[in-house]
Parts: sequence; C-alpha cells; structure tokens
Amino acid sequence: MTSDLRNRLLVMLVLPLCLLALIGVWLDYRSADEAAARHDQRLLRLLPALADSVLAPGADPQEQPVWLLAPPVEDFLRSSPGYSGFSVRDLSGRLVLGDDWVHGAVPATHEPEFHSVEVGGITYRVAVQRGRTGAGEMVVALADGSDPRQRWARHLLLRVLLPNLILVAAAALAIHWAVGRAFKPLVDLAAAVERRSPRDLSAIDEAASPSEVRPLVHSLNQLFSLVNAQAESQRRFVADAAHQLRTPLAGLQAQVEAWALLARSGVKTADRAPGSERKSTPGHDRKAVSAITLGAVEIEKLRDATRRTSQLAHQLLALSRADARSLDAQAMQRVDLQDLCESLLGLYLDAATGKGIDLGLDAQPVHVSGHDWLLRELLSNLVDNAIKYTPAGGSVTIRCGTGADAGGAVRAFLQVEDDGPGVPPAEYARVLQRFYRVPGTEGEGTGLGLPIADEIARAHGTTLTLERGANGRGLRVTLVFPA
Amino acid sequence: MRLLLVEDDIMVASGIKLGLADAGYAVDWVGSGERAEEVLQRESFDVAIVDIGLPGMDGLELTRRLRRPEMASHDMPVLILTARDALHDRVQGLDLGADDYMVKPFELPELLARLRALLRRSQAATTAVLAFGPLELDTANRRVGIRQEADGSLQPIELGPREWTVLEYLLVHAPKPASKDKLLQALTGWDKEITPNAVEVYVSRLRGKLEPHGVSLRSIRGFGYRLELQQP
Repeated sequence: MTSDLRNRLLVMLVLPLCLLALIGVWLDYRSADEAAARHDQRLLRLLPALADSVLAPGADPQEQPVWLLAPPVEDFLRSSPGYSGFSVRDLSGRLVLGDDWVHGAVPATHEPEFHSVEVGGITYRVAVQRGRTGAGEMVVALADGSDPRQRWARHLLLRVLLPNLILVAAAALAIHWAVGRAFKPLVDLAAAVERRSPRDLSAIDEAASPSEVRPLVHSLNQLFSLVNAQAESQRRFVADAAHQLRTPLAGLQAQVEAWALLARSGVKTADRAPGSERKSTPGHDRKAVSAITLGAVEIEKLRDATRRTSQLAHQLLALSRADARSLDAQAMQRVDLQDLCESLLGLYLDAATGKGIDLGLDAQPVHVSGHDWLLRELLSNLVDNAIKYTPAGGSVTIRCGTGADAGGAVRAFLQVEDDGPGVPPAEYARVLQRFYRVPGTEGEGTGLGLPIADEIARAHGTTLTLERGANGRGLRVTLVFPA
Repeated sequence: MRLLLVEDDIMVASGIKLGLADAGYAVDWVGSGERAEEVLQRESFDVAIVDIGLPGMDGLELTRRLRRPEMASHDMPVLILTARDALHDRVQGLDLGADDYMVKPFELPELLARLRALLRRSQAATTAVLAFGPLELDTANRRVGIRQEADGSLQPIELGPREWTVLEYLLVHAPKPASKDKLLQALTGWDKEITPNAVEVYVSRLRGKLEPHGVSLRSIRGFGYRLELQQP
C-alpha cells in the first residue's frame, strides 16, 4: 500500500524538481552566453587597438616592427595574466609579435573571426582580424582564456547539476521517510488486522490508533462486532438446536434401549404381574410393549440408530462449545493427562472388549494447562473413532507423555493409535472437515469426531497430527501441546 | 432393590422404568421434586435417580434436601440425570451430594452399570461385604467365597494375606480396572521391598483360584487388571 503511495508522491514531486533543475541549467547557460557575447564584443573592440599598436615596420623585414601596446590592450592583458595573449603575424602567418600559441588561420577578409584554441588545458577564445597596421597589412589576434562559456561548462556539474541532484535525492529521501512515518499507524493497523486468525474478531484498540485512522478503526470494530454477533448467534443456534434435540432424543433412546434390553432378555412383559407398578405410571406403557412384533435384531438396529442420533446431537453441542470464541472467558486449569487417559480407558474398556479389541494404555505422568472437559471430549472422540474403525482382534493404545520437539524443547503429548484400516494420507486434511467421511468407510460414524478433536486442539493453541501407526498400519493421531 | 425415579419426562421415565424393572429393580416413579420429598419422608429406597430439570423444585435442590441429616435418605446413593453437561453443573451436582451423574441421552446398559457400582459402594459401606457376580468377600469376617446358585450357600476359597489384599482392591474398584501401580502400593503394607513382579505373581495365583468359578482377572495392557465375569 505505502510503496504505491510512495512512488506516486516521488513521481509527482521529483519530476517537477527535475524540470526546475533543467530550467535552472538553461537560464544559467543563457546568462553565460550573454557574458560570452560581451567578452567577444570586448575582444572585437580591442582588435583595432592592437592593430594600432604596430607603429612602423622594422628596419629589416626580419626584425620586429616598432610597436607600443595601446593602453586598452595593455590593460586587457594585464587584467588576466596567464589567461590572455596576443599575436601579430604577417600575411604568411609568420609570428611578428606576441605569443606563438595565439594563432589562427589567416582570414581571407577583413571581417573579424572568432575561434577557440586549446592550450595547456585551457580553451581560449581567439579573435583574429586582418587589418592595416603601421607596418602594413598584418593579422592581429587576441586570446582570452576567461571564457564564461568555458567556465560555465566546467562549473556546470559542480555548481548547477550537483546541487540539483542533491536536492532531488534529498527530496526523494524525505518523501520516502515522511510517507513511511506518516503512514506507520495505518501500516501497523493493516498488519494487526492481517495477523489475526479468522477466529479472532475482538475489537482493535481505538485509543492506540492515531486520530486520522480512528474512524476507520471504529468502523472496522463495528464490522467485527457485527460478524461476531452473527457467528455467535449461529453458534448459539446450533447449541440450542442440539440441546433441544436431546430432550426428545433422551425419551426416544430410553424407550428403545429398554425395548432392546427386554427383547434380548426374552422377558414376556405382557405376563408381568400388575400392581408392582404404582402411582403415576402411565398405563399405555405395557400396551405398547405388548404390541411389539419386532425381533431383537430389529430393535437393536433401532437402538443403534437412536444412539447415533443422540451422539450426533451431543457432538454438535460439543463442537459449538469448543469454539475458540466461546472459550476466551474460561481460564485454563492444570490437567493430569495420565489421569485423563486412565479414566478414558475405564470408560471404553467395555466397548472395546465387546468388539474384541485390545484397548491398552501407555501413559507417563504429565500435566498440561488446558480445559479439562474439552480434553476429555477430545480423547473420547479419538478413542471412540479408533474402536469404531478397528476390526475385531485389533488393538488401540492411548498414550500420553513428554517428548522433545524439532527444536529440542520438551513438550507434552496426547496420542491415540490403532492398527485398523487407517486413513489414506491424501485424506488427512479432509477427515478434519466437518461431516466428511472417507469414501468406502463402514461403521456408524457421524463425521464429527475428528473435527471436534481438531477444534479442541485449536482451542489449546495446537493442531492434530495424523499419521500411519506402527508398521505402517492403522492411524495415529497426536496432539502435541504448545511449549 | 427399591429405586426412586424422579423424572418429569414421560418418555424418559417409562423407558428407564421398563429397563430397570427388567434388570430386577422395583422402580417407583414420581414426576416432581415435591412429590419425591413427600414419598421419601414415608418410605425408604436403596437408590434414587434424579433429573435436574424438574418443574418447580429442581433436582439439585431436591438432592440437597434429601441429604439433610434428619431425612432417612441422607445416606442413600443418588444418581443425577442432566441434559445440561456444562462443567459448572457437573461440579455443582457432585458438591450437593449426588454420587454420580449421567448426561441425557444415555445408554441404558451404562445406567445399569453405574447403578450397580453405586449400590456396591453403599453396600460395602454398610455390610462390609464386597460382591462381584458370585464372588463375595466379607471384610468383617475375613471370609471369601463363591455364592452357589443352587442352594445359596457360600463355597469358601482359601487366600493368602497378599492375595486377599489384591482381590479386595480389585473388588472395591470393579467394574473399573485397577492400576498395577495402585496394587503395588496396596501391597507395600506387607513388604517394603516388593517388586512389580510380585503383583503378577499374586494375580496369577488369584486367577488359578477364581477362574474355575467364572470370575476372570483380565490384564489391561499398560495399566493393570480388571475383574470380569466370564461369558457362559
């Protein structure tokens, strides 16, 4: 977000600055040009004076003519010693007077000519004119090294371009810094929102944000609370629905369970002596039982379906309770994992024995900080799943203890391993989704056991790890507690 | 066994009644806490099942009242039924004197198992006889034997003092499994230098004596042992 803004500000501010710098350079050049023209004018004015300085030819053509520098020329030469010079040549180009380096082609006309000569690293402006002198027609030349164009070119980099470049760079830096600085609260806000988990919809601290973004924070918070309220009402609806379902289900199940028990024990309920029942016992009870024509197997099927429905209602309730948002208010306690494992072992021993499964324990003493009833629910779901999907003769092991993680830190874990058919690794992520069932799975799962366990793991700041069990068979589900 | 069922839901109540009657309980059913209190002032029961969500006086209040010292029911085991399974309710239920709780809907065999455990505990507290199937252990008279189905007589079994300790511990906890560590601790009263192997030795001796009578001592992998009745 800021880099885009930064770039736009840079372009918007640096481009005009560069333009200004160019205009500055051009103006500077213009003034240098004017100064140069003035210099040329001056040289032009001095040329006749130089011609006049040659008074008469020498006695011998090889000798110097009689000459006396005119005062303006002398002043000129004296004003910039080292940077000026003159020469007087005859028409053949032979030096008659002055400095040899001041030369130029012999002009064909009497018009003054200008050209530049470089001597010793200095570029001289040389004005040459053919003119009459006291010694006949000669070529006089004046050189001026203090050419403003020269100096301008020399100083262009140092005096004009460099300050402008520094200015532009400084402006860019200032913009970069200022944008970063000015937008830091906004960037912080964005990062804070980005860092949040999808489950965290708590309000952002409005007081901590600068006044400019406070309206934004305020509306964000309003949105959060709206979404929160909606999620909460949905969660409560599921909880209420599951809860309401359980009352009629309890009745249904109690009835069907009793029928199943009776059908199995073969008691002729119709023969039961009346009078052992008393008070508010409803009379239709016995009538209903005596009308049963279903076999024990059918009734047990009915009972199993009822148990499954009850379990589903219970799991839905557990799922809505395990929701991290509803747990924030509850403090974690110290949970004895070994104790938990032992109590779950006792709870599922009959179910496992009934199915011919060897349910075992491998528990080391270890304590963690967590929600006791949720961890019980988690373990209960894992053990229930393992027993459900492991065929007779298999074994299920409940483990807890401590182990070193990748970083070498000691962390507590809870684990349930079976040697049943397992879950294909490609399905690991999907079996944690609600109501998903591995295709081709038999048994009476609800598709909620692992999702509940995963939700509970998340409420404890960790996740479930699914992998193959020992010898590459079965499923091993592990929950490693955060250090 | 006389059992008082306090439940306002007709479906649940009649189901429980049917199932429990089949299991040999004489069930009296009342639909409100007020009625239950009335009945309890006149008659006595071996155990009560109380629903929390009753109209009027709720199950927790009823449990609190029937625990008052002047009530004959103050030491009667109470099993609470609840549709509310929040932790708060669980703790509160047990604090107010309930001995166990079950969350509705429940499976009848589990309710029966819990009732048996409750009754065994209250029995042991009063009669000093621990029973499991035909096996009976009389802690007062230090006798252990198998109750004969045919004539009701007790066929005694000879146990050494350490075997007795192990069996007593297993019986107190049945049908829950007993951990090997706890058995070891129970045995250290006899020997200071006892090794885990000793538990195995006594368990295997007990097996030899009990298994001919249909009572088995099952090993629970990684944990300990549990008393079980062999399926005929």
